[in-house]
Amino acid sequence: MATYDAIVVGGGHNGLVTAAYLARAGRRTLVLERREHVGGAAETADLGGVRIPRLADTVGRIRPSVVKDLELRAHGLRLVAPGIRVFAPQSDGRAISLWADDARTVEGLRAWSSRDADAWLDFDRLVRSLGRFLAELAAQTPPDIKAPGVGDAFTGLKLGRTFRGLGKHDSHTILRVLPMAVADFVAEAFETDALQAAIAWRGVRHSLLGPWSAGSTAILLGDSAGNDGGAAGQTVFAIGGPGALSEALASAAREAGAEIRCGAEVAAITSRDNRVTGVALASGEEIGATVVVSGLDPRRTLVGLVDPVTVGPTMRWRAGNYRTPGVVAKVNLVVDRLPRFTAAGGDDQLVRGRILAAPGIDAIERAFDAAKYGRTSDTPVLEATIPSLVDPSLVAGAPDGTHVVSISAQYAPATLRGGAWDEDGRADGFADRVVGVLDDLAPGLTQSITAREVITPLDLERDYGLTGGHPLHGEQSLDQFFLWRPFLGSARYRLPVDGLYLCGSGAHPGGGITGQPGQNAAREILSDLKRRR
Amino acid sequence: TPLRAGDGPKPRPGARAADVAGTGDYLWRVNDHGRTIRELRRWSATDAEAYEEYGQLMVEMARFIKPILGITPPDLTSLDPRPLLPLGGLLRSFQQLPERQQAVFVQLMTMSAADFLDQWFETDPLKATMSASGIIGTYLGVRSPGTAYVLLHHYMGEIDGAFRAWGIPKGGTGGISNAIGSAARALGAEIRTEAPVERVIVKNGKAVGVALAGSGEEIHADVVLSSVDARRTFLGLVEPGTLEPEFEQEIRRFKFRGSSGKVNMAVDRLPDFSCLPGAGEHLRGAISFSPAVDDMEQAYDDAKYGRFSAKPYIDMIIPTLVDPTMAPPGKHVISCFVQYAPYKLAPELGTWDDQREAFGDAVVNRISEFAPGFRESILFRNVQTPLDIERTTGLTEGNIFQGELTLEQLFFNRPAPGYARFRTPIQDLWMCGSSTHPGGGIMGANGRIAALEVLRSRGRRVA
Repeated sequence: MATYDAIVVGGGHNGLVTAAYLARAGRRTLVLERREHVGGAAETADLGGVRIPRLADTVGRIRPSVVKDLELRAHGLRLVAPGIRVFAPQSDGRAISLWADDARTVEGLRAWSSRDADAWLDFDRLVRSLGRFLAELAAQTPPDIKAPGVGDAFTGLKLGRTFRGLGKHDSHTILRVLPMAVADFVAEAFETDALQAAIAWRGVRHSLLGPWSAGSTAILLGDSAGNDGGAAGQTVFAIGGPGALSEALASAAREAGAEIRCGAEVAAITSRDNRVTGVALASGEEIGATVVVSGLDPRRTLVGLVDPVTVGPTMRWRAGNYRTPGVVAKVNLVVDRLPRFTAAGGDDQLVRGRILAAPGIDAIERAFDAAKYGRTSDTPVLEATIPSLVDPSLVAGAPDGTHVVSISAQYAPATLRGGAWDEDGRADGFADRVVGVLDDLAPGLTQSITAREVITPLDLERDYGLTGGHPLHGEQSLDQFFLWRPFLGSARYRLPVDGLYLCGSGAHPGGGITGQPGQNAAREILSDLKRRR
Repeated sequence: TPLRAGDGPKPRPGARAADVAGTGDYLWRVNDHGRTIRELRRWSATDAEAYEEYGQLMVEMARFIKPILGITPPDLTSLDPRPLLPLGGLLRSFQQLPERQQAVFVQLMTMSAADFLDQWFETDPLKATMSASGIIGTYLGVRSPGTAYVLLHHYMGEIDGAFRAWGIPKGGTGGISNAIGSAARALGAEIRTEAPVERVIVKNGKAVGVALAGSGEEIHADVVLSSVDARRTFLGLVEPGTLEPEFEQEIRRFKFRGSSGKVNMAVDRLPDFSCLPGAGEHLRGAISFSPAVDDMEQAYDDAKYGRFSAKPYIDMIIPTLVDPTMAPPGKHVISCFVQYAPYKLAPELGTWDDQREAFGDAVVNRISEFAPGFRESILFRNVQTPLDIERTTGLTEGNIFQGELTLEQLFFNRPAPGYARFRTPIQDLWMCGSSTHPGGGIMGANGRIAALEVLRSRGRRVA
């Protein structure tokens, strides 16, 4: 006998979004989180006496509709966006600076190339226009191609209209550029290598792709879809760190009537006659539900939690081949003084956004090359933030001058040849290299470190349950996209067991802190539950 | 479309034979399926099993995809719904495929060859050799997304109705050209050689003929079809200023990036491979130097930064074993297709004129690693770099497919969005070469569809 209408497995941001929408629709909803607190990768943690964004650091991709529908501001969410979006210091002391204010960006680019400065506004407009189309796509449930219904025809028409709304030029452009290598895409607009790299980076972030890999343009445009990022990309912080977003989501879900249990590990999703019946916890407790929604990645869900006979060999094979090659490691630092970037010349405004160490297209590509052979990059590509500059509450109570530095480092492949991450000091060795790259740009950084933590892809897999240590639940590549994310035939949030749904980043439109898969999944679940009556 | 001319290529027993692996061992695949399976079992029992399933799946995929190669790509932004109709037909036949095949089709269109094959196989030399077909003529590596699609091309060859057959034509590939030429002549077409076209004559926005180089002779015609590549057609043969700057920019964007070279050699004895010594059947097919996926990828890494591969991928054939008349008794001709040889070299290497012989040496060295004494057997060597290919054949940047076969340059984007229907911005000027859908390779599909489009546009009934 079902006790709940819906059980959401995993209290990451998408699981919370789905739970909140279901609860608001009056469904009895239970969220089960294995860890001691909700949030998954959107979490604020303690390090060396201060608070740090442990994994994700910016939250600017969260969909405005999610914030509005769930009244997240009333639940304590405060967002702040610095004027600077990207600061990309170079080894020669120069820097690329991309600002929220286009005029300022253009003015700065003029020092590099007047051609590039002139091209900026057009490029920004193009990225926004294509991003708007992708946002529209992202908000839709991919159509049912097997048995299209009226709703699918409607979706098709709507997308068709949006496509035509792009105009002849942009609609031709999107068909051409989506499968393109991002290096080619940025080179069509700009000639300065450092600028090309600063933009192209977002096309390969979190992916086992280099800027010369096909499909990386789609990732770049997807990153700018549904937010105010444009060509520079979003740089938005939540006061209190990304954990504050998760808290706001949890509070919204609870207020709507959802129950949230932490420290409750789901060991199996139970089913009978190809229909889910609930879940079994690691403690042995069984809880019944009409539907089970997995916020975990599809591989872990189908291969790890559902009875193999129910899934069947073909689906199991397909789920097992869902590609999840994690390549990101996180290095978090507490420092006793603000890092002094040579290229910033003492201007603290410049380092309030995302700081990039990605000096050129070939430099990113070479860093990527290592990952193909199971090695870490000799010179990793870094994206760092100093959120305590924007949000001093993170370092409240710490000595004056204390700051936190959050660094995503690529490429750090999950599967290393010649030994695991937790052997022979590999994790610390890589972190030393990461700090070294940053120290070259901000001399003295190393001496200012009072606490450091390294989170490798292996930790992401073990501590966060991300298969292959992939922060996006699976590659965001052309083969795991839209109608076929996670798999062709399962892109409509329904997995091939009746009553089992997917609401996490492994589903369309994919990873990043958007809440979009969670929102879309909730819509589909509610429509199915209504039909069951 | 299959070539069925009477004197065209014939399938030969043992074609696609030997794949030399670099582990002191070898791996071979022959036209005899049972024998191939037995050979694969020697490497891996599971791979042998998967190979059957894989092969069947690929044949089904090839059947599904073949009609796509024969349609004129629609312009999705056009308001005219008629060109969209074939797409509806395709969608319906896609819907009728079992879900697993649908999923595999999507994977073929989007994945890297190596990732795709990883789902089935574990034997590295097998994966390396199979993935090689995904990179031929492209400036991509076996791990680059978009290379899986070309795997399928190997299941699409068809000779005299025998599906999945690849042939080496008697008399070389020139034999095919001669067969088609003679068919055209028999039907009344005139063919003039040594008649280089200098420009297309355009009057009032209409192509009315061509002017020849040298003689300046003008020849008038109702329509002009260009089978040279898009860049040469629009930026070389058309008077500057005739085309809209925006269109010209699209053409300039069209990527060529030739990546392959050829090394042809005359030798005084057959190569003797240490993994399989002596002369034998294994020399009669394609000999593939692709011992590991990593080797293939490293060869590409070199090219990405403007160097030819230190250890290139080589596809070697010995045509004199099929057609002994090509060389004096006991002597042989060896033809090697080599990748990668990027058209644009890193600045410190200078030009291809400086590097030609060094590239040839790299190829000979690589072969000699597997066949000791090969270097000494060479009587004559001819190295074709991408620059040479450009100079002798006119193929821009030496790209053998008249434009890269990357996803953004296929179907309705080939050669430019809005101009994938063989028409050009100039009335009565048409495209019919590999710069158009469905791309390069000696298939003749481009020319056929272009001809049908021209006839259709003039109200002729089409066969």
